[in-house]
Amino acid sequence: MNNFNQFKKMFSAQLKLTLREKQAWFWGIFFPVILMVIFMVIFSGSSDNEFESEIAIVADNPNPTSEMLLTQITQLPILDVKTGEPVSRDTAERWVKDQEVDAAIVLPESAEDTSFVLVVNKEDERGVTTQALSAILDKMVQQANLSAVGAAPTFDIQFESLTSGNNELNYTDFLLTGMIALSIAQGGMFGMVDLVEMRRKGLIKRLRMTPAKMGIFGLSDMVMRLLFSVIQILLLSLIGVFIFGANLFISFPSLIIVFFIGALSFNALGYLFSSFSTTQNAYMGVANIVSFVMMFLSGVFFPIETMPDWLQPISNLLPLTYFAEGLRDSMVYETGLFSSTLWFGIGVLVIWGVLSFVLGSWLYKRKSIVAAR
Amino acid sequence: MNVLEVKNLQKSFGSIRAVQDISFSVEAGEVFTIIGPNGAGKTTTLEMIEGLVTPDHGEIHFGEMNWGHHAVAIKMKIGVQPQSSAMFDLLTPEENLDLFATFYEKARPTAEILELINLTEHRKNQVKKLSGGQRQRLAIGLAMISDPDIIFLDEPTTGLDPQARRHIWDIILELKKLGKTTILTTHYMEEAEKLSDRVCIVDQGNIVTIDTPSALIEKLTKEREVRLSFLDGEKAAEEGAIFADNLNSVARTEREGAVLKLWTIKPEDTLLELFKFTKEKEFQVEQVSIREMSLEDVFIAFTGKEWRD
Repeated sequence: MNNFNQFKKMFSAQLKLTLREKQAWFWGIFFPVILMVIFMVIFSGSSDNEFESEIAIVADNPNPTSEMLLTQITQLPILDVKTGEPVSRDTAERWVKDQEVDAAIVLPESAEDTSFVLVVNKEDERGVTTQALSAILDKMVQQANLSAVGAAPTFDIQFESLTSGNNELNYTDFLLTGMIALSIAQGGMFGMVDLVEMRRKGLIKRLRMTPAKMGIFGLSDMVMRLLFSVIQILLLSLIGVFIFGANLFISFPSLIIVFFIGALSFNALGYLFSSFSTTQNAYMGVANIVSFVMMFLSGVFFPIETMPDWLQPISNLLPLTYFAEGLRDSMVYETGLFSSTLWFGIGVLVIWGVLSFVLGSWLYKRKSIVAAR
Repeated sequence: MNVLEVKNLQKSFGSIRAVQDISFSVEAGEVFTIIGPNGAGKTTTLEMIEGLVTPDHGEIHFGEMNWGHHAVAIKMKIGVQPQSSAMFDLLTPEENLDLFATFYEKARPTAEILELINLTEHRKNQVKKLSGGQRQRLAIGLAMISDPDIIFLDEPTTGLDPQARRHIWDIILELKKLGKTTILTTHYMEEAEKLSDRVCIVDQGNIVTIDTPSALIEKLTKEREVRLSFLDGEKAAEEGAIFADNLNSVARTEREGAVLKLWTIKPEDTLLELFKFTKEKEFQVEQVSIREMSLEDVFIAFTGKEWRD
């Protein structure tokens, strides 16, 4: 049988093996999807919404000042006044205690009185909402003060946010690309457990008794793994874009290179683990530790810059850091092939991949786990 | 014609000399069985012949071919069923056979193999759902997929129930009818006796003896064990023992309750005398048996070891 036919048959066998392996589907597809959905719901769901707060207003003694402030407050779209009109102080305080409103604003009791009172629940004293509300009120007070003396504001603050790329990176995009990197990396690091199983059961030895070309067998296995990773990318991207509104600006040449090099590197890492693990449990232990460390140190869920300074140099050594960055560059920033950062990352991945593969092969040969009984 | 010739094979693993000096040749169409206790070097010998382990010393020839120069050609010609019946557990027997078929230049039709190993009914079940016997039959099927001239079966029936074992014997006899050469190792003497043309007894890395099963049994002392059990109880057996002890042909006697055991080089004469005696005394004999000599006795005689199944 010629090489191509042999490849086709082996590939179709690999396909069936993967399709029937429930573990592969759980850890490769289901688990990353669930993890991503959980993180996105928790961390990025509310950040898209505008700040909004429900408050109560107390104006026990209506007077021109309080009338004026009342109009101003009700016009602010971010403040929602409960029941739409002022209530008694007792009612307002009860609402605050029961946390039915975020705060109560007590308006000045007379035209001459110049003080507001902001009533909040003790539990919320340091909350973001309280701080925002007090800032809003502060601004109103300042404006009122200025207009009282007939002056115009001298200084003004304008707020702008910056990112390093062409396109804005929001947390959804950040997490989506991180999750894709993580799931492909885990696919490689955990996937090679098959090799340990095949060796333990004597299947590798069995194949060596046949004239089967092991190179073709390895190739069909690798193509299957890459195909599985493509499914991971597609599925996670579709969920990210259509359910969580991620914005992707993809540079396909960069993405394809980063994807290939990254997937191969992490498979090489899995191969290294398999070279010194004699049982499935030993392999899974090693893979779990490494993947756990990388998961949190490689900027998958949170940017590396938010980590303590002493930890960052470690992150800068890990391959997942560069894989996640490479995917972000090529999927979100549309970074083309002429980027030195991109190639530096690719370089680090290549080094990890080559070292793992060479060391793994050496260990296989030295222990001759395959050759001896 | 010799299809396989093995000369002065030696192999050590560290300080353990697994195979010390093994030479034999196998003729086309015969079932050649290697028996020996655990650790005797059977599997190492087989693995050297199968090209998995390189011998420290010695030669292996498949006709004109050897592993150094004709590795792929030899692999095309031989079929191997290793002791660990390794296969793809998530594939079905049909898929396993189809996949293995692609490794070879020529292959027998999968349906034919399935029929031969009696797995047609289970061809669409994943291997992990098969019983031990079914797995073992599939392992033999995988060894046969390339229609090899020489088939190696390493303990194909170990751990199987008697019926499953008989299934496998049928397959081996079928292979013999097809003119294939089979090299077999086994733990079961009965199996070696029933299936083999020649038996090779291996112990501590050396060949103890090689011959046909019947010739090996012939080589043993001619003394046979005869048993009689008396309906009239111990007393009768005791009297019988005294009588038998006085016969020239009887070497010794033993008595267990109403059963008399005696060892004789002429069972026919001894029995004739004994029956004359019982007729005279009007004793009733319930059972008479002459124990068959088996390979087990041969093994014990040659190695001085008790046989363990």
